[in-house]
Amino acid sequence: MNDKRLDRLALVSKVWPWLFLGTLLVFFEAWARISAHRSFVFNAYNLQSIGLAASAPLLLAIGQTFVIITAGIDLSVGFVMGLAAVCVAQFTIPGGDSPWILLVSISLTILVCLIPGLVNGVLIARLGVPAFIGTLGMYGVARGVGFLAAGSGMTVSVNNRGLAWLGGGWTPVILTAVLLVVMHFVLSQTKFGQYTYAIGGNPQSAIRAGINVRRHLFAIYLIAAAFAAVGGVVYTARFAAGAANAGEPMLLDSIAAVVIGGASLFGGTGNVIGTLIGALIIAVIEFGLVFIDVNAFWQFIVVGIVIILSVLIDQYKDRLGGAQ
Amino acid sequence: MLRNALRCLIAFSTIAVAALGALPGVAHADAAHPVVALLPGVTDPFYFTMHRGAERAAKEDNIQLLFQVPKAWNTTEQVPILKAFIARHPDVLLVSPVDKQQLIGPLKEAADAGIKVITVDTYIGDGHYQTGKGDADFPLSYIASDNLEGGRVAARSLARAIGDKGTVYCENNKPGISSTDARAQGFMEEMKKHPNIKVLETQYNEDDANRAASHVAAVLARNPDLAGVFGANTFSGAGAAQGVKNAGKQGVVKVVVFDAVPGIDEQIRSGLVDIAIAQLPDQMGYYAVKFATDAIHGKKIPTYKGTGFVVLDKSNIDKSEMKQYIYSN
Amino acid sequence: MSGAGVTPILEARDVSIRFGGVEALKRVSLRLMPGEVLALAGDNGAGKSTLIKILSGVYRADGGDLHFEGRPLQLRDPQDARSQGIETIYQDLALADNLDVGSNIFLGREPVRRRFGFQVIDRPHMARVAREVLERLDIVIPPRKLTGPVKMLSGGQRQAIAIGRAIYWNARVLIMDEPTAALGVPEQRKVMELIRALKVQGVAVILISHNLHDIFAVAERIVVLRRGEVAGERRVAETDGDEIVRLMVGDTYSNDAH
Repeated sequence: MNDKRLDRLALVSKVWPWLFLGTLLVFFEAWARISAHRSFVFNAYNLQSIGLAASAPLLLAIGQTFVIITAGIDLSVGFVMGLAAVCVAQFTIPGGDSPWILLVSISLTILVCLIPGLVNGVLIARLGVPAFIGTLGMYGVARGVGFLAAGSGMTVSVNNRGLAWLGGGWTPVILTAVLLVVMHFVLSQTKFGQYTYAIGGNPQSAIRAGINVRRHLFAIYLIAAAFAAVGGVVYTARFAAGAANAGEPMLLDSIAAVVIGGASLFGGTGNVIGTLIGALIIAVIEFGLVFIDVNAFWQFIVVGIVIILSVLIDQYKDRLGGAQ
Repeated sequence: MLRNALRCLIAFSTIAVAALGALPGVAHADAAHPVVALLPGVTDPFYFTMHRGAERAAKEDNIQLLFQVPKAWNTTEQVPILKAFIARHPDVLLVSPVDKQQLIGPLKEAADAGIKVITVDTYIGDGHYQTGKGDADFPLSYIASDNLEGGRVAARSLARAIGDKGTVYCENNKPGISSTDARAQGFMEEMKKHPNIKVLETQYNEDDANRAASHVAAVLARNPDLAGVFGANTFSGAGAAQGVKNAGKQGVVKVVVFDAVPGIDEQIRSGLVDIAIAQLPDQMGYYAVKFATDAIHGKKIPTYKGTGFVVLDKSNIDKSEMKQYIYSN
Repeated sequence: MSGAGVTPILEARDVSIRFGGVEALKRVSLRLMPGEVLALAGDNGAGKSTLIKILSGVYRADGGDLHFEGRPLQLRDPQDARSQGIETIYQDLALADNLDVGSNIFLGREPVRRRFGFQVIDRPHMARVAREVLERLDIVIPPRKLTGPVKMLSGGQRQAIAIGRAIYWNARVLIMDEPTAALGVPEQRKVMELIRALKVQGVAVILISHNLHDIFAVAERIVVLRRGEVAGERRVAETDGDEIVRLMVGDTYSNDAH
């Protein structure tokens, strides 16, 4: 294979998630126009619904991106999200309808939810426990604490003007977008991001280069927990109630988004924009299948195929690079 | 070859998007062919039976019926499907809300978009619609078993089965679901009328049969003289029956389950389950669509329709006319 | 070359270290003269890796001391050694495979600039330096591979980057652990050329190698370790492969023909 061809194939494998998303949109648009005489893409409500559906796992996935790049994984994010949802509800109730309580309740919630992140950090960074096992422990603990905090109802209702504003309309989508931009900047432009990649590529090299790997991994798991907490706050804002099991379906979606976006579970690759595209692909598939009235269980199959494709293309990218 | 295929794909996509953007605007669903969407709570033969009843009515009234099922009983599963349905803009939405509080907002979106909402099997708010009060007032109707009455029926059957005395308790899914809450409530109310029956604390298993089974074991350990268990929904009943069997108390501890799941006839015959309270989901689905049709044509519909129960036990399970009451996929 | 009266740039005097019950190094002394290539030879387990880890700050000796340009040297950690100008290239090269050449050269010491009021990594600067360093070492890497992860490069090219990194950070002493172990013959030759180039630039090199051919091609002196002690020290011009092997394994296993 000559160089130009290699270049083009490398380019394609880099942008394939974008291509796929574009293809999906075209496909659903065509089908929707033909079978239902409606537009799929050129409709504010649809875009908002897809944005909202993507924002929930995306918030978790942003933190997960950092973790996966370091060759780790955080299985606790789903239930930390649930814990946060319950906490922010409980902490907001005493303030009644006043939005000002949110300053306290949201900060407190994030602080409380940093504790699971701290424990994960100690287990993984300090004690050297494999990430899968360490965070699996927190998966259970956060789940239990979340359910306990919710009381017998397992969901905690809350009616608060400020919360309703936070969860209404485009606000959750905009919030997610802002966080996305910030974390993309951090990951691609700052030393913190660079060290994240270095640790994922070769932890030994990072240590020898003078990078404080332990402290860095600590920070990574705190970040993952913080984003899970934000996800929980947004959930309660949207549904006026915090459910302890709110994040249960979100864990695998968050990992899928990161992988589809180009990260390898072995660490060293991935980026925030890719994760965004991954989350959008999943949300578009789910929304689209219902919209065109195809049994929504096909979404499992389609998303599964997309994940397999991502992994294959990732392998292919590797082989392209080695071909010299 | 790959390169060429990709070139074609990019070209096609660009042209297609441009062309579609230029297409004339959106048309609404034809008045002659109304569209009704059915969104149950989770995958379950109960809801598939409901779907069949709905389909029957849809065929009679020439309605296009959309049907999607959430993969778990969870707000995060049901709401995205709901939003996709709203985008599809059916004339009427038939829905089994998974939470009587959290689904109020999302369903209001549907109502605001001009979609008529009818809740089936579960309700939002307090289930009393069109009263002019409260924020969960907008649905047109609530069609369900009278779960309160169902709980009472279950209590009466269980009381009869244990000779009107002894210790019993209720195995339930989780609080916050209108249907199971009402069943538990009816059960408690009715049992108050039976002074010789002691009712223990209700156990919640979050729709997990395994957990229900271990609850039974634990309760039995504490109360070896346990006389009966009432499983307030499918998995509660299935788990409770297993738990009783594992403890070797089949027939000694009477098991009353709600819902006639596939295979319930075998379970009753073998003694795993003593009594099954069958709802009539087929009727629910049928009436839901019928009401929808009426609503589309501007007719007033009742704000509540209660469908009844059939009590299945060893005495009637083998009768051919009882077969139709067993749910199926 | 070195002669009497010149201060060694790096010296270890009577260095000892033990791990648990095992005495890994027993009163080992070694002198490295400026601009010289010193080969460190010995069989497996002789203590070569341990010695260089002490010289590069990874381990702290239990006994003896170190001197740098005649002054006593206390090394707290590898960063300390680096700041003194002692760079070490381990067998695995300590490169971050998923990062590009520039990122590897600057790993842990990234240049920053201000952008939107934040500290941002100066990637253009890193890329420029990468090109310059490779040019200086006379290594050719096509532009496509220059911006990609270093995992895509050949063993020799990666070795060159590791060396280039050490040079860029003004190493005075470069310690190399089996630099040609995983390379094919043409690449081995290239690495030897690089080492000679280092000598010309005044960098002193300690070279651990099993490859007697390499040692004789590029080193001035050889120190042989055996079982934690110095078995012997020879000038390359005054010895041969057989004698070195004899020193490595001990008299009883030597080749009789001398």
